[in-house]
Amino acid sequence: MPSKFKYLLSIFILLCFSSCFQIIEEINLTKAGSGTVNLTLNLSASKTKVASVMLMDSIQGYKVPSKQTIQKELDEVVAYLKKSPGISNVQKKVDFENYVVSVSFAFKDIANINNVNQDVLKKLKIKGVSNSSYTYNPKIQTFCRSYQHTKDAVAQYNKLKPEVKKVFKDASYTSIYRFEQNIASSNNPLAKISKSKKAVMLNTGILGLINGKTDVSNNITLAK
Amino acid sequence: MNSLYKCLIAAFLTSLTFTSYAQDLVNKIPADALAVATLKGKNLTELMSLTDFNKSFTGKKILSKLSKNADQPLTSIEDIGFNLTSSFYYYNQSNDSVTYNCFLAPVKNATQLDAFYNQSGQKFSVKGTMRSYYNSDSTEVAHWNNEMFLAVIGSGKKEYFSRPDVIERFGLTSAYPVGEAVSDSAATVVVDEDVVTDSVLVDSTMIDSTQEEDIIISDTSESNPFFKNEDQKKSIVAAWIQHMVEEFFAGTNKTSILNNNDFLKSQDAQAEATIWVSGVDKLFNTYMPAIPYLKGMSFFNGYGSGNAKFYLEDKSIKLTTSMTFSDEIASVFKRIHKRKLNKRFLKYVNEDRMIGYMGYALDTKAYLEEYPKLMSKMYGSIYAEEIGMAADLFSLLLDEEAIGKVVKGDAMFVFNGLMQNEVSYKSYDYNEENFETKEVMKTKKETLPDFLLMISSEDTRLIDKLIAYGVKKEAVKKHAGYYELSIPKSPLALYFTIKNQIMFFTTSITEIDAIAANSYAAKVSGKHKKTLLSSNYSAYFSGKKLAGKIPSEEFGGAKKLEKANRVLKSLGDIYMKSNPIKGNVLSGEVSMDIPANQPNALKYLFSLIEDATK
Repeated sequence: MPSKFKYLLSIFILLCFSSCFQIIEEINLTKAGSGTVNLTLNLSASKTKVASVMLMDSIQGYKVPSKQTIQKELDEVVAYLKKSPGISNVQKKVDFENYVVSVSFAFKDIANINNVNQDVLKKLKIKGVSNSSYTYNPKIQTFCRSYQHTKDAVAQYNKLKPEVKKVFKDASYTSIYRFEQNIASSNNPLAKISKSKKAVMLNTGILGLINGKTDVSNNITLAK
Repeated sequence: MNSLYKCLIAAFLTSLTFTSYAQDLVNKIPADALAVATLKGKNLTELMSLTDFNKSFTGKKILSKLSKNADQPLTSIEDIGFNLTSSFYYYNQSNDSVTYNCFLAPVKNATQLDAFYNQSGQKFSVKGTMRSYYNSDSTEVAHWNNEMFLAVIGSGKKEYFSRPDVIERFGLTSAYPVGEAVSDSAATVVVDEDVVTDSVLVDSTMIDSTQEEDIIISDTSESNPFFKNEDQKKSIVAAWIQHMVEEFFAGTNKTSILNNNDFLKSQDAQAEATIWVSGVDKLFNTYMPAIPYLKGMSFFNGYGSGNAKFYLEDKSIKLTTSMTFSDEIASVFKRIHKRKLNKRFLKYVNEDRMIGYMGYALDTKAYLEEYPKLMSKMYGSIYAEEIGMAADLFSLLLDEEAIGKVVKGDAMFVFNGLMQNEVSYKSYDYNEENFETKEVMKTKKETLPDFLLMISSEDTRLIDKLIAYGVKKEAVKKHAGYYELSIPKSPLALYFTIKNQIMFFTTSITEIDAIAANSYAAKVSGKHKKTLLSSNYSAYFSGKKLAGKIPSEEFGGAKKLEKANRVLKSLGDIYMKSNPIKGNVLSGEVSMDIPANQPNALKYLFSLIEDATK
């Protein structure tokens, strides 16, 4: 009998909390190793739910940030990026109509991103997402995206309430790396090479990244 | 002649009472039990034979759980040795120092029960016809003979064992000794022959050999004074349990629960299970941990005895509950419950469309006037002055009568189902050439509830002003005969209007159109009419009507949806209602109709459980 009611209850919970989001990471890399990055967080598909959540002070025991808080935290990220060595042309775009946030910047060397990445995550109080870094070796023309799943991500996820966990169910992560040279090979079976042979795209669910079932690391060899 | 006639009737009634309890252990339950739960084996076995039960899905599950530790699996529930056609009881007995949770069952075949214990690897001792089982610290015991089985779990009350006089009397150490050396003698159980606890006489003979062994084990295993203290308390409780059980089997306790009129009144031979609570207040205080800042507060002040009865009938499953209140609280309820649901609400209900409803009727004016009194009862003596002032201020600030006119206190919520609206959102497309991103607008369907809420109001001047203000600020749009509240970024539109002293709120444009145009086609059966108009609280839900109306995207896959639909379809209509207060008793009822093809409610309940686990 109780499990019957569990279903009735879940109908209402689903109606209230089902939502999804999209993270897009784009890197354009020149032959010399400099380039641009564009990071986008898109909550538009669940904007009605986000809008109603934003009206509240807290939901399910989680504090809901106000527009001002979100703006302020983003401003801090931008200010930090501007000060970071090798980083320039930092721009942010916030669309509260559709709930899309994006940050873009240029870098002198891909190694600049690695330093920034960890610090930004720390600033945004996102703990234990992954051990992720980029390397580019112009001599042998290889671009390497290394990624190692951390158990902390699962631990953090498991701490979330079941209703909140559902938010991650349909969430997706897309990475696009574009190069000046043609791509000779890409070793991640999930990655797709574009018609021009100059771009690699990998599209996967966030849940797979959290539980370590999906590996987004990729060794890309470029044509000499 | 007249008196002879009376005597005969009395004798007849008495014999009837006795015969109905002849095979029953209810007379063994002490009169001071705080709560008694009864499970009537006779009624249940009439609805489903033991053979059917053993073959059923639930029966097999129970049997496999029971034979988990046994060498040989149980094939029939009867093999445990209980008399399954008689009644089983749980009761709680408490005093200031200890609380006992007791399970009392009729024994049919003690040898089978012995075998059950043996097979489960639980050792017990035998003395004559009496078998005794003790757990490691003897705070959980079971005793049985050829007639009955009594299992008791006892726990000492923290508050009692923290009292300085008790600590001294039993040679306990204070609750959390820090770095204190405790002499060995303090850890040894010393229960003097003439020590009398507030309720139970304890003597040294109560601690039998089994317990002594256990105490020695725990003493040697723990050198921490805290654990020693705990062990010592447990052994005191164990001795009390032993005493209580011995008295029980000796039958020295003459006053049984059958002398309690309130208990007798709460019993119904037709009910499959009942729970009776002698006093909600008393029971709450028994279970409630002693929290210092809650001292003096009484959340259930004015609440008397209560009972719940569970019926498995031919056509429905029913749960009735009732609660007795003090004169003061009952008079509050009588005042508040005077209002009945607005009859005109029924003109806007169509049961062919409706999936469920909730109706409630309270007198707002009476509620606002009585609320401060209820608060002062709850917060009792400690905050009497503060609550008194707050109550006066509350009355001073509020014009109860005026508020009672704006919101009279009756409302009805009708759930008509789910509807889907299209919403647009921003997404990204990538060209195949070089995976360049392009912003695109996509659409998706969002599921929204379809409901109608009606609230009675005599004085709508304030609401009218609010609407006019909303229209001026462009938060409210005016249509022909109704208004629309625009909710930014939401696909949900809320329409409302005021008509015939009713405020209507709905998500459906068709509904509001019909209401505004006086063309609403209502359809309400006599059953719903009666439930709604005769109760202060009522509710209805039809799982069958909801089945098939939930979009699959809201349920994360066709398989899950199919299961949900199957579960919803197998549910009968669910009704909930409160009854008018009678004397000082407030009662209510929840029931579920069972499908016509089901032989009876118990078999249906078993099939539901089986369905849900599939």
